[in-house]
Amino acid sequence: MQDFLELAVGAAASGCVYGLLALAYLLMIRPTGIINFAVGEWAMVASFGGFLLLSRYEWPYPLGMAAILAFMLVLGWATERITVRPLVEKGAPLLAPILALLGMLVVFREAISVSFPPDPHPVPFPFGLGRLEWGPFGGSYQSFFIIATTLLVFIGVWLFFERTVAGKSFEAVALHRRAAALMGINLSRVTALSFAAGAGIAGLAGLLVSPNISAHYLMGIPLAIQGFTALVIGGVGRVEGALLGGLLLAFAEQMTVRYAPVPSGFAQGVPLLLLMVFLLLRPTGLLRARA
Amino acid sequence: MKSALRWVAAIAVLSAAAFFMSDYHNDVYRKLMLWVALALGYNFLFGVCGQVSFSHFAFYGIGAYSIVILLFQAHLPLPVAIVCGLVLCVVFALVVAIPSTRLEGFYLALATLALGQLFIVVLNEGGSITGGNGGIANYRLPDIFGVRIRGPWYTAVIATLLVGTLALLWRLDHSWFGRACRAVRDNAEAAAAMGVDVARVKVIAFTLTAVLAGIAGMVYAFVDNTVNPPIFGIENAFLLLFMVIVGGAGRHAGAVIGAVLLFLLPFWLSPVVGHHQALVFGVLVVAAILFQPRGLIGLWDRFSRSRS
Amino acid sequence: MKRFVALLAAGLAAWGAHAQDTIKIGVITDRVGVSKPYSEPSTEGLIFGAGEINKRGGVLGKKIELLVEDDQSRPDISAALARKLIDQGAVFILSMSLTPATQQQQTVTMESKTPQMTPMNSGDTLTTQLPNPYFWQTGPLGSIQIATLLAHARSKNLKRVALISDNSDLGQLLARFFRGGLEKSGIQVVSEEVVPRGATTAEPQMQKIRAANPDALFMAGVLTAENVLILRAYRQFGLKFPIHSSYNLSVPVYMSVGKGLVDGVTFVDAYDPDKAEVKEFVAAYKKETGKEPFNLHGYGYDGIMMVAEAIKKAGTTDKEKIREAMQALTYKGVMGAKGMEYHFPEGKRAGFDPNGMVVRVYEGDKQGRVIHTGQK
Repeated sequence: MQDFLELAVGAAASGCVYGLLALAYLLMIRPTGIINFAVGEWAMVASFGGFLLLSRYEWPYPLGMAAILAFMLVLGWATERITVRPLVEKGAPLLAPILALLGMLVVFREAISVSFPPDPHPVPFPFGLGRLEWGPFGGSYQSFFIIATTLLVFIGVWLFFERTVAGKSFEAVALHRRAAALMGINLSRVTALSFAAGAGIAGLAGLLVSPNISAHYLMGIPLAIQGFTALVIGGVGRVEGALLGGLLLAFAEQMTVRYAPVPSGFAQGVPLLLLMVFLLLRPTGLLRARA
Repeated sequence: MKSALRWVAAIAVLSAAAFFMSDYHNDVYRKLMLWVALALGYNFLFGVCGQVSFSHFAFYGIGAYSIVILLFQAHLPLPVAIVCGLVLCVVFALVVAIPSTRLEGFYLALATLALGQLFIVVLNEGGSITGGNGGIANYRLPDIFGVRIRGPWYTAVIATLLVGTLALLWRLDHSWFGRACRAVRDNAEAAAAMGVDVARVKVIAFTLTAVLAGIAGMVYAFVDNTVNPPIFGIENAFLLLFMVIVGGAGRHAGAVIGAVLLFLLPFWLSPVVGHHQALVFGVLVVAAILFQPRGLIGLWDRFSRSRS
Repeated sequence: MKRFVALLAAGLAAWGAHAQDTIKIGVITDRVGVSKPYSEPSTEGLIFGAGEINKRGGVLGKKIELLVEDDQSRPDISAALARKLIDQGAVFILSMSLTPATQQQQTVTMESKTPQMTPMNSGDTLTTQLPNPYFWQTGPLGSIQIATLLAHARSKNLKRVALISDNSDLGQLLARFFRGGLEKSGIQVVSEEVVPRGATTAEPQMQKIRAANPDALFMAGVLTAENVLILRAYRQFGLKFPIHSSYNLSVPVYMSVGKGLVDGVTFVDAYDPDKAEVKEFVAAYKKETGKEPFNLHGYGYDGIMMVAEAIKKAGTTDKEKIREAMQALTYKGVMGAKGMEYHFPEGKRAGFDPNGMVVRVYEGDKQGRVIHTGQK
């Protein structure tokens, strides 16, 4: 039990990172139906931004973070403009932009790979390496920072969808594109914004997780897969689902390693098995969309 | 009868080419043909039947590993090993296909992606059966009727496999089964309303293409005489998808074009752009999709249309 | 007009020089895939070495021409590239990529009787899985690494230890040989854990290790990011048992990416910065390229030097004679403890001297002194 409490904060932090990535997917899938696997690479780009601005040039953390997130918003918007909009305008089948984005995954990864030495690069911890005890729970400063930031983001996004007109129009597009267009909602603006937001959130996830796992050119794909798995578990219908899915996945992963009586090597397979079982029994995810 | 002759002629031409090539070109040629065969099968599953699967490449691996394990660990004679290998492929395919009929679109994609990764985990943890991380090496194709098949003759075997795969898929495509598959792909509910047993069609398509991939895998095992987990990694599943999309999903010619282009592209790029070749590859793939979302086969169509 | 003639003459001379006979040596490396962090510096050292050899007049009066291919860490492409190099006339192939890729190339070199060597792979099975007399391995074997670590730890009287690695092919191979070495010394492995590539934390694994209460932890992994996770969890939990690591911790990047995490960790290395040959190498490399080399560069450098030596001793580019010369070769290089020589005893083809590794320790964030040499 002691170990569980000790792991809980760390697992929650990992879960928050997965949740943010799932949220990034969700923001892009809902209005367009496009699955953008490049979110992992976006997280990687932001991590390298973190290395450059925060480690190498030693900018103050808030300034560096703001600059990187601003860059990611622009990057997301540019990605949509270049690879998605032409295809949508041409009336291409839905799979085409998904694959174009898979291609962009390779482009992003290789662009970073040729620009930096191949070793992992350090990204600094905003609050240092200390440890915080909070009741029965204990975790690193970074873990608490990740959890706090993620909660803020999710609350913000939830409020945006529930309480603002712009958010409601987003929902309208998600529910029925044609009807939304007929009602005068600017489809391409919604799409561009959703990609910008997706990139920003994926970038945030990268920035939060990279002090622990270091910035390196291969970090994108595992993150993309874990984010997507979290999305499926939580369901595409609701924003909260992304966070729930992320937390469940992280806890399942870590608790399996800690407690399951299987040899270490096989423990990696358990989340995969879980996912497949989940897909067969409840593919729409845990949280249903609102009617 | 005439079409049978055409296929035989194709085999003859493809095989004859092998005798005029150097060792290196032969090697690339063989692997290219195997990839084309895989792409054709995947194109049928994905392009014609609309099943988004990432586990196709895993069946390539199942075929390769099973023939090696059956031949050199269970010491079965070659014909028995081949049959057992096929049976294994069918069994695994059914195990995957039957539950998959309940999944659509990206759920199916995700489940099969997880399956592909699970396959690699099993290979790595398989201890002395699968050879673990190092895989299995140090074997060669046993003599058949006292004859040792190697070099360009083995390339002929691969050519036969390729043409056979194409012929089979071509026939299927033009049969009621192909029509049923397309109906399921375009609108499963309407297809069911028309009397098509949707689940059965999906399972048959899945199993059939999986077995074709498994056979290709068995043939592959003797190309380099090594099997190990990195060869069957998940990146190849993505590459296969790219090949079919860039070439043109749903069209055999598209699969061929896509496979040839994307397999050979790194070989052409590497000497020209050095370590930027993966970047250039990515850019070219994106450009191809942007330029021709329905596949490069569209260019050929336009060309032949303007000619007639 | 005069300038045009001069240009023409220069062009003809260059063309002539190019058409002159060279000794072609094939290099298969990874420029874009998972092996890049190790292949890139190693290959840079190799290219520098080839340049040095050519500056001194080449081998047998001819210049070395490196034919470099990129296998993207894909073993099936690797084998095809080996064939390409042989077709192009390479008399020797240097394998600078993943262990399975090197393995796959062996089927080709064995069949075509072409000499092949890996100066950097450390998987023990490379020379034992295939009976290929044309293949040599001069990287520091996993079995040598654990034996050297244990020799150093002998005074600590270890009875029960934990072992942790990653799920890469080399990490698993090293873990296997580490376990073997530990058990052979009568030490019980009470906990063995794996951190998979892409993990966000190693805390669950470290909790299990902590619960087993080991005397020491042996790290056999080769993935830098995942090793940093292990060290981080170790610090987070305030654990105190000593850590002994494979040669992966010898890569200098740990000094930046592992800041605050590596103090006191001992690791095995094939590089003694105090050695005369190393100092010479570092100075020459810095002068030529302006950059500071580290241990990985030395592997490639030693590799090409040994190939050149073998060809020189053979006196010809005949592959069979080169094979004999290489098998009989002894060479003192940049890597290894002071005075170590590479050699291939009794027909074996792994050439790194079992006593040639050193144990070093991290002092603060810097790679510190050598605290033990060899297996005694």
